[in-house]
Amino acid sequence: MKKASWVKATYAIEVENLVKRFGDFEAIKSISFKVRRGEVFAFLGPNGAGKTTTVHILTTLLKPTDGKAKVAGLDVVKEAKEVRKKIGIVFQEPSVDRDLTAYENMLIHGGVYGLSGVKLRDKIERLLRFVELWDFKDRLVRHFSGGMQRRLEIARSLLHEPEVLFLDEPTLGLDPQTRVHVWNYIKTIKEEHDMTVFLTTHYMEEAEKLADKIAIIDHGKIIAEGRCDELKKLVGSDVVYVRVDSNAECFEEGDFIKSCKVLRDGRIRIDVENAAEALPKIFEIAREKGVKIVEMTYHQPTLNDVFLHLTGREIRDEGGEFFKTIVRSWMRR
Amino acid sequence: MRAFIIMVYRQIKRFSRAKSRVVGMVVNPLIWLIFFGVGWSGVFKDVRVFGGVNYLTYLAPGIFAMTIFNQSFISGVSVIWDREFGFLKEVLVAPASRKETISGRIVGDSIVATVQGAIILFLTLLITEVRIPGILPTLGVGLLLAVAFSSFGVCLATRIQSMEGFQMIMAVLMLPIIFLSGAIYPINAMPWWMKLLAYINPLTYAVDGARSMLTDVDGVFPLSTDLSILGFLALAFLGIAMFAFERSTLE
Repeated sequence: MKKASWVKATYAIEVENLVKRFGDFEAIKSISFKVRRGEVFAFLGPNGAGKTTTVHILTTLLKPTDGKAKVAGLDVVKEAKEVRKKIGIVFQEPSVDRDLTAYENMLIHGGVYGLSGVKLRDKIERLLRFVELWDFKDRLVRHFSGGMQRRLEIARSLLHEPEVLFLDEPTLGLDPQTRVHVWNYIKTIKEEHDMTVFLTTHYMEEAEKLADKIAIIDHGKIIAEGRCDELKKLVGSDVVYVRVDSNAECFEEGDFIKSCKVLRDGRIRIDVENAAEALPKIFEIAREKGVKIVEMTYHQPTLNDVFLHLTGREIRDEGGEFFKTIVRSWMRR
Repeated sequence: MRAFIIMVYRQIKRFSRAKSRVVGMVVNPLIWLIFFGVGWSGVFKDVRVFGGVNYLTYLAPGIFAMTIFNQSFISGVSVIWDREFGFLKEVLVAPASRKETISGRIVGDSIVATVQGAIILFLTLLITEVRIPGILPTLGVGLLLAVAFSSFGVCLATRIQSMEGFQMIMAVLMLPIIFLSGAIYPINAMPWWMKLLAYINPLTYAVDGARSMLTDVDGVFPLSTDLSILGFLALAFLGIAMFAFERSTLE
């Protein structure tokens, strides 16, 4: 009994050998993962990798073909109704009521979740202020920009104070500025409410900026999982390129320098654990050796490098994405 | 109960916002009544065919029922739109009882449809000889009719997967239901096979009931028969819709 409650307190999401088939198509091929309470967990992968299907299973909208999934310690099939009380979700497709005002959208959501009265009104005000939409509360959502609609959806998903928040591609189709805006909201949510956030995205920066832990998913399989820096270690270390004014000569290996070699173009390539920490040390060694550094660049592996390394493909399928965004905006007219 | 009330509120609020849609829904039946009705009433000089009233007065209850039928059926089927544009997911993922939310939606839509019917009915007062005291009970008939058909629409929506399916339903079902209801010509004059179809058409009983209450025409059926059949159908379809929606998934 004691152990059970301890497990419940540790993991917000537990998935074991989850499989989802649509006819002959296997959208999810036996995935397993655990998300700790209070953690931001990102599912990173290209379109069609099975991210949204996973979210739909975890939020009780789809039934798994096989395997087990628990959210907030509750089985998503057997205790679906209890799970629904504990979760909030921002869907990939816009799901706000365009013929209603921002305030009415919040009011109706609250009502569907059984909230009412002064308590609900206070919460609505607090959340609309949080996403900076209070000044537009009486405006029809029809006239909102994509970013404003997204912010409203985020505010709405927080209204019933869920334990676990699901964000399915929260910044898809938003311009870079708005994206940063939304990221800040998500950071604040995590910090202030200690909420568990399950995020799907195909933007590497998004996973990198927000997630405590990342699972890379491709063709319905998790191909790597870990903290951002752990994943990057899969591809290798940071690389510093140095050009000096005198004859290029290797720096001594050992200490923080993992390897060093002189390239054909005269630059020196130094593999290090952490480029940010290594740069000043390299300057110091150069001064001791009496050489002057005239050029210095460094490269840190990105999650894209990780994905490339694991699958041989780029994570972003620009053409497909562009097309999808156009179709979406056209359909919503 | 909260979810039920909030859904009724949602449907009414949405209706009050969509002004152009409201105008369209009122103008369409008026075009029928005025151009179709006035045109034919010049032809039908012998009022005995229509139970002793002029054709325009005969047509008025039919147009009233047709307005409510159109509006409620379309709003029921438009649950498909909700699936396409996300609100359905929003409801399915909420802990509230789905039976409660969908019945709230149906009742909200039915109130909206009845209000539109009422607008038409008041406008018809100007050009026809309908009985004023019959108006209030007729609105009751309208509400039952609306519940029956928006529930029927929801049942269809849980089965149809695409917009194309929606278009097809509209084309195949809507006009025959109107033609086979006695709204624009008497059932009694139809050949037997059309009569048979008219008898299994829920709209027939709403038209007949409304006509008995609003005009001096003798109904095809006794008023009690109209009301009990309509009431039964409204409850039955509502029940089926609640059940169908409860089981609906995203697949």
